[in-house]
Amino acid sequence: MTREELTRKLTEHLGKALPAMSTAGNMLLVKIKAEDLPTLAGYVFNQLGARLITTVGTDRTPLTGNYEVSYLFSFDRADLFLSLKVEIDPANPVIESVTPVIPGADWAEREVRDLIGVVPKNHPDPRRLVLADDWPEELYPLRKDFPYDYKPPQATVAGPRMKKAPEQATVMTVGPFFPTLEEPAYFRLFVEGERIVGSDYRGFYSHRGIEKLADTVLDYNKITFLAERICGICGFVHSCCYCQAVEAAAEIEVPARAKYIRTIMLELERLHSHLLWLGLAGHIIGFDTVLMQSWRIREQLMWLTEQITGNRKTYGMNLVGGVRRDIPEKLQPKIKEVLAKVESESRQVVEAIAGDTTLLMRLQNVGYLSAADARSFCVVGPTARASGVDIDSRRDHPYAAYPDLQFTVPVYNEGDTWARTLVRLDELFVSIDLVRQALGRLPGGPIMAENTEVPPEREGLAVVEAPRGECCHYVLTGTDRPERWRVRASTYPQLQAAPSMFANQTVADAPIIIGSIDPCFSCTERMETVDVESGKLRVYTREELLKAGRAGCKGGDSRA
Amino acid sequence: MLKLIFIAVINLAVTLALAPLLDGFMRRIKAVVHSRQGPPLLQTYYDLFKLFGKEDMEGAGGVIFRLAPVVCLGSVLLAALFTPMGGPAPLGFGGDLFLLVYLLSIPGIAIMLGAMSCGSPYAMLGASREMMLVLTVEPILLITLFTAGIKADSLVLADLSGWTLTHGWSISAVIAGLALFLSLQSELAKLPFDIAEAETEIMEGPFVEYSGPKLALFKWALYAKMVIYISLFLEVFLPWPKTGILAADLLSNLVKVFIVIGLVELIELVNPRLRIDQALNYFKGVAVLALVGLAFALMGL
Amino acid sequence: MFISKWKEALICLKAGRVTLPYPFVPRPTAEGFRGQPEVDGRRCIGCGECATVCPPRLITLVDDGDSRALKVDYSRCTYCARCADVCPEKAIRLGNNYELATSQKEDLTMTVNLKMANCSLCGKPFAPERLLRKTGEKLTGGEFGQEAPEWLSWCPECRKTKQAKALGGVEAKDHV
Ligand code: SF4
Ligand code: SF4
Repeated sequence: MTREELTRKLTEHLGKALPAMSTAGNMLLVKIKAEDLPTLAGYVFNQLGARLITTVGTDRTPLTGNYEVSYLFSFDRADLFLSLKVEIDPANPVIESVTPVIPGADWAEREVRDLIGVVPKNHPDPRRLVLADDWPEELYPLRKDFPYDYKPPQATVAGPRMKKAPEQATVMTVGPFFPTLEEPAYFRLFVEGERIVGSDYRGFYSHRGIEKLADTVLDYNKITFLAERICGICGFVHSCCYCQAVEAAAEIEVPARAKYIRTIMLELERLHSHLLWLGLAGHIIGFDTVLMQSWRIREQLMWLTEQITGNRKTYGMNLVGGVRRDIPEKLQPKIKEVLAKVESESRQVVEAIAGDTTLLMRLQNVGYLSAADARSFCVVGPTARASGVDIDSRRDHPYAAYPDLQFTVPVYNEGDTWARTLVRLDELFVSIDLVRQALGRLPGGPIMAENTEVPPEREGLAVVEAPRGECCHYVLTGTDRPERWRVRASTYPQLQAAPSMFANQTVADAPIIIGSIDPCFSCTERMETVDVESGKLRVYTREELLKAGRAGCKGGDSRA
Repeated sequence: MLKLIFIAVINLAVTLALAPLLDGFMRRIKAVVHSRQGPPLLQTYYDLFKLFGKEDMEGAGGVIFRLAPVVCLGSVLLAALFTPMGGPAPLGFGGDLFLLVYLLSIPGIAIMLGAMSCGSPYAMLGASREMMLVLTVEPILLITLFTAGIKADSLVLADLSGWTLTHGWSISAVIAGLALFLSLQSELAKLPFDIAEAETEIMEGPFVEYSGPKLALFKWALYAKMVIYISLFLEVFLPWPKTGILAADLLSNLVKVFIVIGLVELIELVNPRLRIDQALNYFKGVAVLALVGLAFALMGL
Repeated sequence: MFISKWKEALICLKAGRVTLPYPFVPRPTAEGFRGQPEVDGRRCIGCGECATVCPPRLITLVDDGDSRALKVDYSRCTYCARCADVCPEKAIRLGNNYELATSQKEDLTMTVNLKMANCSLCGKPFAPERLLRKTGEKLTGGEFGQEAPEWLSWCPECRKTKQAKALGGVEAKDHV
């Protein structure tokens, strides 16, 4: 589908001319009336087969007097993005919810409500999503008149509003702190015996408002490093994606060599991330030998990236306009050597575990996600590809050096945890090949664009295929710093699909099901520990703790 | 008499004092397979020492909660007195075989009761899993020992060992021995059957509320249980070599225990944890195997 | 199944022991490693470039009378090396130290004190002496010939009034 076609179809469906339209790179920006949103969004999603990426809420009151909410869609096969933008009058900040039509819009709409205060009407689950439980009502941190360092008073009593368990079911909690979850997340599983009959989720414990920080105190290049620290596993994805969004907005031409270096680092990151995942998956089902051995293989990559970038994980390579460090000629043999070793060792591991029946017993037919569900929750990455949804932003929205490289995208149709494992295992070898290709063709020249001016009032959207799936950054430029920076990590849609994967599984499978989407909670919640602290600290006495513990044990949470 | 007291002391000493070493040995093997440095051989002693030094929390569950660890370790120690470990068992009488099986099922029951008394949902789930496992696995122990008993025409443990020694293996003994070995992994709460504890699923299940000295007692009891189970298996189905010299026999038994525990650890290392339904299915198969052994024994084979 | 298990065991045994006896034996860092930033107090001229670019804004300049303090709070450092990139005097480099854990927060702070120069007109301290000297050195040999320009020793306010006066003079002339 081309831009023109899409415009024509939208106009036809609406039966009247579109109010305003513009383009930015491969994004079609359409301003629409609020009342047209549900029908247009539904049409684009259901009839035209677009995927909802996320929503962006922006407070434009200083400039236009309105709030703006954009629904970002992707036409994956056409390398085309669509932004349906609705202006909302602050006097009546209400918008018709599209979640009934697009289940994957659930969190995105709640987030806009929490942060900007635009209420989605008829939303099926209007509970708080992002903000802390003791955050005051009617206080919206992303509004421009909200000072970034304001700390609202703490409430003495606060707890999440959780769904009621069905009759007869008992409540098993996974989290907020749990051995196999490295980050805080709170799942409530409603179980009968060992079988899960329902679930509820409360997350965003690591939300620290980095988006606010970006449009109040930081500047374009500082955000790059903040973005990198969104995730401790795929940080480079975030900094790269952010830079690409700014570059798209400002139309900065990135030198070819920088693009190749980014590609190499992205693929090295995917390699280490998938090996890390394999280990964790093993650990979750008690198979620590897999953990230790796949991490042993991974360790070589960590040493390698330390040599290339100066740090084993947080590479710090990106700046708006290019990269900071070159990959010197003398390191190339080393990279190739490590790749060869990682390849042969991973191949051995893959061969060994592929026939391991006890392992298969734990992974096959566990955590099934149908292709239809994957699409309606707008799931991305290996989770989508294991359910037969063939999307990969490296191929669909080519960026960096990917247009020049040849690669396949592994897709499986089984939709279970084992299929998700297989997708990742196959991708290991695709990534190794990609790094080799990129190294072989590494062009000469500068690594940083000459002109990195960023003009104000431009929009940029970039997607990068993170190891966990498509990661998306949106930037609306301002003076010296973005007017709005929005991050949508790959776990965001994945977690929304988790309840559907829990259906009819046992408690024993819950951890590996959560693990199988390779969740990254801090990414999803956009963590940063400086400046804005909404976290509350309470010191419990021993008696209180015991009491709380016992109350929690007896038939679940009294706050439900 | 003096000799029996001496053996009783030895048995208790081996089960109590040596059991943590067994765990340390397993951890060393684990470290080698994991390609890592690993803890020192004596780490388990240090761990127990540390746990005993911690504050003894009253805990959530009242008397049962507090008694469970003591009962658990006590029953294991009592069982040690009925178990031949190289030399003859210190205590023994007609039918002691059944008594031993009962004694050996007490630790599991104590763990279950302790877990249920604290009311944590994880402990509850762990307890229910433990119960299912005990109910399927304990009968296998009983059937296999009974099989050996039929062959030896006696229900005194000492006779079983002696019979295998003089008559060698029979078909039924081989089958029963195999069945017992296949259930060993679960009796020792090792992967793929550490389902009741399942650290990454239900956070050590029954032990989730235990800490400090009480947890140490539980752990110690479980290590001691390993010695007893393996000795029992070895004495009944693999009693060789027996020299008749007490010291040598005790030593050879110990060496064999270490070999078996090494094997158990290797199996643990190449397996993920099974789900409870999968484990039960597996043990149904093993139980059938044990019954086949029994049938052979009844036929005199 | 048994073949798989056997293969798994082989992989493990072939690998041998790979972990280091850390922390008993230090783990060496790679060339170009980005560890704790080391500030060379003798070279720093107090220009503040590093403070401008530091993403977590942990480098601060505090002027207090006739001294300027460059304060570094390592507890928030992200080891990005932006400070080292922009430092005109190469006074910051990222060293090899990565073991910063401590129970004393003060261990993670560092201060460089620089003496301020006084304005030759009003006598107020306004910029680090070293900064002025370095700027002078850079300017001499350039368009100013051998001598550092006089206005270098004027504080911004004085410079502004001087400039205004000079400009005013010019404008006045133009009008005549
Ligand atoms: S390394 Fe980065 S974070 Fe650390 S002081 Fe320098 S600029 Fe700041
Ligand atoms: S940039 Fe260099 S010279 Fe300037 S203040 Fe920082 S450390 Fe000192």
